[in-house]
Amino acid sequence: MDGWVQIIASGLTVGAMYAVSTIALSLVWGALNVLNMGQGAMLAVGGYIAYTAATALNLPIPLAIGVAIIVGAGIGVLMYFLIIKFMIGKDSFETNVIIATFGFALVLENLILRFYGAYPLRQPIGIDGGWYIGATHIPYQNVLLIVASGVLMVVVAYILKNTRMGRAIRATAQNREATELMGVRVSWVFLQVLMLGGGLAAVSGIMLSTLTTLAPTMGYDPMLKAFIICVIAGLGNIYGALVSAFVLGLFEVSIQFMFGVRFGFPALLLLVILALIWRPYGVFGRRKTDRL
Amino acid sequence: MKMATNSAKVAASYRADIMIGVALIFLAIVVPFIFPTRYLVGQLTIFFLWATVVSQWNLVFGVAGIFSLAQMAIFAMGGYVAGMLGLYLGWSLWISMFFGGFASVVFSTLIGVACLRLRGAYVALLTFAIAQTMYLLIITDTACFMRQGVTCRNFTGGTRGLAKFGDFGFRELLPYKYMAFGDYFLALSVLICAVAFSIFVIRSPVGLAFRALRDNQVCAEARGISKFKYQLLIFSASAFFTGVAGAVYAGHFRVMGANSLYLNLLLFLLSMLIIGGAGRIWGPLLGAATLMLVDEVLKEFVDWRLAGLGIILVVFIVLWPKGLAGALDNMSSRFRKDTEFSDRGGKSHIP
Repeated sequence: MDGWVQIIASGLTVGAMYAVSTIALSLVWGALNVLNMGQGAMLAVGGYIAYTAATALNLPIPLAIGVAIIVGAGIGVLMYFLIIKFMIGKDSFETNVIIATFGFALVLENLILRFYGAYPLRQPIGIDGGWYIGATHIPYQNVLLIVASGVLMVVVAYILKNTRMGRAIRATAQNREATELMGVRVSWVFLQVLMLGGGLAAVSGIMLSTLTTLAPTMGYDPMLKAFIICVIAGLGNIYGALVSAFVLGLFEVSIQFMFGVRFGFPALLLLVILALIWRPYGVFGRRKTDRL
Repeated sequence: MKMATNSAKVAASYRADIMIGVALIFLAIVVPFIFPTRYLVGQLTIFFLWATVVSQWNLVFGVAGIFSLAQMAIFAMGGYVAGMLGLYLGWSLWISMFFGGFASVVFSTLIGVACLRLRGAYVALLTFAIAQTMYLLIITDTACFMRQGVTCRNFTGGTRGLAKFGDFGFRELLPYKYMAFGDYFLALSVLICAVAFSIFVIRSPVGLAFRALRDNQVCAEARGISKFKYQLLIFSASAFFTGVAGAVYAGHFRVMGANSLYLNLLLFLLSMLIIGGAGRIWGPLLGAATLMLVDEVLKEFVDWRLAGLGIILVVFIVLWPKGLAGALDNMSSRFRKDTEFSDRGGKSHIP
């Protein structure tokens, strides 16, 4: 009995971590077709900026988080003006942008290494304490993460669905040329989405670092998991991503519990490959038909 | 009439490729005798191995249009299988090298069957995830596979890497001064075979099929060219020399470790491919040579190596997405008066 409580508790936490790192990625990929390989580094930057703001600058925690969000959004803007701007509408945009953001990630990672060093740091932001269910300890921090990931997803989905900006973003995702013809400034949409994605990445990075530690490469593993979740959920499907994140989190933790920690990720990957053979456009994705 | 000029053109470009190839081979044979320093010969050996991997990756990415990030996993598979055959079965590396290549082909075919029905970015993600899984499985391998005295050896070598499977035996064979030459010429021969194979593929009907698919996919598919079938074919075939290069790498360093699966190394090789010019015959060689040189320079600024690589990668993909080979091609065609080759246009990926 206690074993199952443990599995479900840590499965939900892992799922929330995945969900949190997936939001920004899913938004940027779904709306702009930009698969941001810089996501991992941006998560790390968010965590580190909040760390600096809270320790060296001694800012109160909400303000520290705010600073991190602004810097994250700034990185999104930088990414637009240095890279994406020049690539929109060029040949093989989809693959080239992966490589370009990869390069961008290397620069960010190098900067973090220079400023903060390679040793893991402890994130000072976070809340202590927790509940006990039977013998299982459930920290408040984990519960906060689960709730926050759900709330963030809903907020992003609401923005996409109900606001003017969200309509423009969805229109751009469906057909860039037609959107442009309707009088929407597509370049502005790109900038908005990258800013939003950058800010969300910073929040995700802070939340991830409260559960683990700060390290220059802390973002890579969550990024990889987030990729997998995006793939299985189907491109840009935010609710699908939320469900997939928790299902896959629970699955991975159960496998780790039953067969050993090292088989968690391989089993996850096998599941994803099987799911994609069954539904090549993602479990919640719909087939996009191209007209001639 | 059109056919005749076409085949004449193909023959002409074949001749050009062969001339470039012979000149480069001559250079590669002469260089170690003129500058026999161990450092240079060692670095060039590594250059040959990376150029081999990149030339095969070029077939997958540049020619077949599969954005695979599993190239180093395939490379590592070749190295590990060759090493294991040497360690556990006592085979000579000269034989296990080929089995490493075959194992890579099998591995690659499996990856291909699983991934190639998906589209662009999805393929990149899944192949990346497969490579990462392989890395994680190796570095978390702690189970006891074989006891040697008091030490316990795990199947893949774990974090310490696989060792003690021997080498190519040039140490005993060659005099001390020329010891490093053995691996040098072995790696060179692998590179020559790999490049010859890639030229053959690019100019073969398979290469033409991909040109057709790229120029007009609907039309090509209506003519009965199956994208999946040809992609799988090229994905499997290109794994052979990648795996052999992995085995030679293992023999050269006499250890095979999970560091061959590091993300930074993958990016280093991807940069070679992009900067040289994906899809072009000599692009990978040009890119590998450029990046090895840049890396020598960046060694002075080791703290900024990653950022340097990243900036170069971004600059090239934004400004010259066709790489150095593409830029050179544009320049030469601007100066060339006769328009004999102008009908190749911008879309053709074959110089």
